[in-house]
Formats: sequence, structure tokens, C-alpha cells
Amino acid sequence: MAGSVRIRLYATAREAAGAATIRRPIGPSGISLRELLQELGTERPGLLPILRHARFARNGTYLRGTRARLHDGDELAVHPPYSGG
Amino acid sequence: MEVELTRRRLDVARAYRELEDPESGGVVVFVGRVRPDRSERGTVAALWYEADERMATERFHSLVQQAHVRYQARRVVLWHRLGKLGVGEVSVVVGVAAGHRAEAFRGARFLIEGVKKRVPIWKSDWTPGAPETLRRPAGRSTRGPGPATPRRPRRNLVRPS
Repeated sequence: MAGSVRIRLYATAREAAGAATIRRPIGPSGISLRELLQELGTERPGLLPILRHARFARNGTYLRGTRARLHDGDELAVHPPYSGG
Repeated sequence: MEVELTRRRLDVARAYRELEDPESGGVVVFVGRVRPDRSERGTVAALWYEADERMATERFHSLVQQAHVRYQARRVVLWHRLGKLGVGEVSVVVGVAAGHRAEAFRGARFLIEGVKKRVPIWKSDWTPGAPETLRRPAGRSTRGPGPATPRRPRRNLVRPS
């Protein structure tokens, strides 16, 4: 059964995307992070330079690499480089 | 409380009281404040701080735990403010009470460097009169796919300091 994932964008990623949250439909087998980022970058080219330097977290856990898959109900956080303090 | 991520004003005197410990011979408190940097649009009047609050809080607790273990910190405070802060307002308070000054200094340095490098918090210039729609935090939904509506940038990214 198909579902969706939610992408939460912060700081410059949100501003480049023009949205704080994007809900994206996915197929029954989910979607890899790599595929998701490619689609996002194609649809919202302003995001590309930010995605190249961002960190990604799935349901609150950081991901290494882009092979991880996202499934129905997952949430992906897009973190541009940090600047707190 | 050891860890706070808050929209309320940070009280440095309260932080110092939290660090009170008769066994600690050294207490170091670092206070970060908004400075009036110049940008291409003039002198910065305010900064906007936002965070991935759940992950930032987890990171804060992890940093505090490490400060206790690695630097023998007896008491720790790690507070960060969110939202709009004017020039001169306190954005971050880091404090360590330890047996000796060396551990207190090293622990405080470890914490503030950790905040800057490892905690999902972001600051940017605040620009008055910018579109209110972009001030909302992450949490409201826009359905995808579909092209983003071009919008005027609200703020300038502030380089990490």
C-alpha cells in the first residue's frame, strides 16, 4: 500500500523551499534518501546547494550516506549547517 | 535545570545560582550575546534563532552528560534561547562548576563548541517587514510534489561565529 513521508525543512532549507514541511507520496516499497533528494532538487532547484551540505535525520536519528530508505509515516529532517550560540 | 531551550529571556544570575556547589573550586560561566554585526543590508538589529527542538534537546543532554564524565563537572547549565533576540540580548549560557579551574574552563569550552558544531540550532538576521509566511517554524504542511512558489528571502544567513 502506498503512503507518504513528511520532510521538515529548517532555516535556509525552509527558505529555499518556500515551505516548512512537505508531504510526499511514496510507493509501497518506500523511497531511498538518494531518490528523494534527487526529486527534491529537481523540483526545487534552489534547494540543491543546501542539500549538498545538509545533514539528514529520519525520525530523529541521523542518517549516514543516502542509501537509507524511508517508508510510510517516516519523517525526514533537513538540517543545514548549524549556527547556534 | 541543566538544559533549557526556551523562548524566555535567559537569566545569567539564575544560571550562577544553579551552579552553586560547595565542593566546586572553579566555576566558569560563558554568556553569548547578540552583537550588532554589519551585513549588506545594514547593521543587524536582531537575530532569529530556531531549532529542531527535539533533536537539539537530545544533543544538549548528551553534551551535558559528556561534560560530567570527561571534565568531572559537578554542576552544569546549558541554556539556549530561541525566537527573535535584539542586540545585546543573551542567546546562550554555558556554565560548569568543577573541583578545579582547569576542568571548569575545559568543560565550558567543550559545551559551547559542541553547541556550535553539533546541535541543530540556526540563527539568521532578522529583517523587519519580511513576509510573515516564512517566519513560521517547521510544522505546517505543504503538499508536494510541485514547484515552490518563488518568494523574497526573508533573512540573510549569518555565518557561524
